[in-house]
Amino acid sequence: MTPSRRSFLMGAAALSAAVATPEMTRAAAALDAVAATKADWALATQDVEGDIARQTMRLVHGRAPAELQGALYRNGPAKFRRPGGSATHWFDGDGMMRAFRIQDGQATLEARFADTPKRRTETELAAVVTPGFGTKGDGRARIGSNDDANAANTAVMVAGDQVWALWEAGSPLALSASDLSTRNFVTLRDDLKGMPFQAHPRYAPDGSIWNVGSAGGQAVIWHLRPDRSLSDAQVVPLPRASYMHDFTATDRHVILVLQPWVFTTHAMPVTAGLTWRPEMGTQVLVLDKDDLSKRRLYELPGFFHFHLGDAWAERDGTIRFDVAASGDPRFAVDGARVLVDGHGVVPGDPAKLALITLHPDGRADMAYSDVVGEFPKADPRRAGLKRSLTAHTSGETRGRPLPTGLAVHDWDSGRSHAFEFGVHQVVEEAVFVPKPGATAERDAWLVGPSVNLKDGRTELHIFDVARIEDGPVATWQADVAMPAGFHGVWAG
Amino acid sequence: MKTVAAIAPVLALAAALTAAPAFAADLTVAFPSAAPQGQIMVAVFNSEANYGGEGQPAQVAILDAAAGQTSVTFDGLPDGDYAVRAFHDLNGDGKMNTNPFGMPVEPFAFSNNAVGNMGPASWERAKFAAAGATTQSIDLK
Repeated sequence: MTPSRRSFLMGAAALSAAVATPEMTRAAAALDAVAATKADWALATQDVEGDIARQTMRLVHGRAPAELQGALYRNGPAKFRRPGGSATHWFDGDGMMRAFRIQDGQATLEARFADTPKRRTETELAAVVTPGFGTKGDGRARIGSNDDANAANTAVMVAGDQVWALWEAGSPLALSASDLSTRNFVTLRDDLKGMPFQAHPRYAPDGSIWNVGSAGGQAVIWHLRPDRSLSDAQVVPLPRASYMHDFTATDRHVILVLQPWVFTTHAMPVTAGLTWRPEMGTQVLVLDKDDLSKRRLYELPGFFHFHLGDAWAERDGTIRFDVAASGDPRFAVDGARVLVDGHGVVPGDPAKLALITLHPDGRADMAYSDVVGEFPKADPRRAGLKRSLTAHTSGETRGRPLPTGLAVHDWDSGRSHAFEFGVHQVVEEAVFVPKPGATAERDAWLVGPSVNLKDGRTELHIFDVARIEDGPVATWQADVAMPAGFHGVWAG
Repeated sequence: MKTVAAIAPVLALAAALTAAPAFAADLTVAFPSAAPQGQIMVAVFNSEANYGGEGQPAQVAILDAAAGQTSVTFDGLPDGDYAVRAFHDLNGDGKMNTNPFGMPVEPFAFSNNAVGNMGPASWERAKFAAAGATTQSIDLK
């Protein structure tokens, strides 16, 4: 497909979103009901109607490691459809925080919606009206500030006795870690109220946290102290206004990967303002953490991505990091709509892992593996430092959305080990949890859930990173099915 | 948002406005939850054209929130439709401060506690009829 044809098709997709009315949505829903054509994976984007009280999960396989104690907090959309109009894109459902708590070999699950202005407005109107990443919204929206559109649905970070529900274009929303009740939007400094705080903070070896928030051709670079108070925030100009979901960092650098999906018009939803221009290539902007005005720009062939792995710098100045890359943003525009529709074919190929190398002489290169993967996670003991392993979801195939397995890729050996559940499971991101007192990269567990489509229940799995191909060492099952979430964090 | 930020100069321009002839409406605008800090800038508009464009407010007030003043009454307004814009100038610098991306960082609100749609609340959402003793209780956010 030529770039111009692709741009045209994307423009057409945006246009069709622009003329969709709630009536059309209802009509489409009615047609769906008649056709009853929901895919088997549709459970992964079902609606949850209310908060889910803490319940004990049932151990259905293996045995939990005694030393594994803590909580996996996970965020994700869990309410898309309302009678007067619905979210049409996976990224625009109401955020629901899940807590999987593991203690003394037992696991519990609870989940609570983030009590956002968006959710309050849409509950009152019985309609999704707020524009989002891919949902057009309508004139009934009430948006006095960007946080009025905040779905608080993407990721989570721990902050003392709170967890912060993270979105992309607004403030963190503080929830109580103990009962997940909503407290308030977090303003890190009065003059920075409402500045975007994206969903992928990077944890530095010194315990501090870096994050970004982008707005067109500029970004704020956040630096938080280990106690989550603000150390510094600076606005930096960007060489292009690119869509950026993630960034990465070494112990010494902040790295912004500027893909050729660029803002060309002011439009809502977000996808309607973006144009795919692969001929522009992908730029990698490297900022010095000690002096953000010191920057280097690298050029790569164009690719699309949401997620990057932690980066590291080698002694000679070489910087490396991994990415889940794909050829174009068709998933972001159309695939994520198919997911909410609950049927249809997701266009394009699933993302593959690739390793990006930035050389001291200014060259950059990108080596694709043949490994299909998304949601890359790595050893938190090595964040920003040299590592070998990337854990990731796996098993997605062309034509059928969502992962069905977990895998660990070793960049040094080029070898991958995977466990495939089969298509009756939708596998979610798993976090990397170091074994207490251990230091080797493989001395860790992966902890993550799946949606068991056959049983109609959410499961929680523990894998040993060193033997992932053996399957879970323990699996618990809830008595409910939660829709698939996005990102989580482990609180040990 | 920029229109919201424009309240301050409009207030300055309109400061000389005096009370209209004796009519029925006494409009009280109250901010019961406002923090005791800085000042609250209030502008009352009597038409969509003035509210939405460059027009002047019919009435303005600056409340000394730091001293505990959280309401103001505009006496003797002609009966009719009105809308209020207000912002809480927390640091008392006379401006609607914004973050580096241009979004307001000081609380603001409109009558009816109306919220806009990626901008100030429309006249349609913010307007109310004033006749006799009328109160607008507004939460600055």
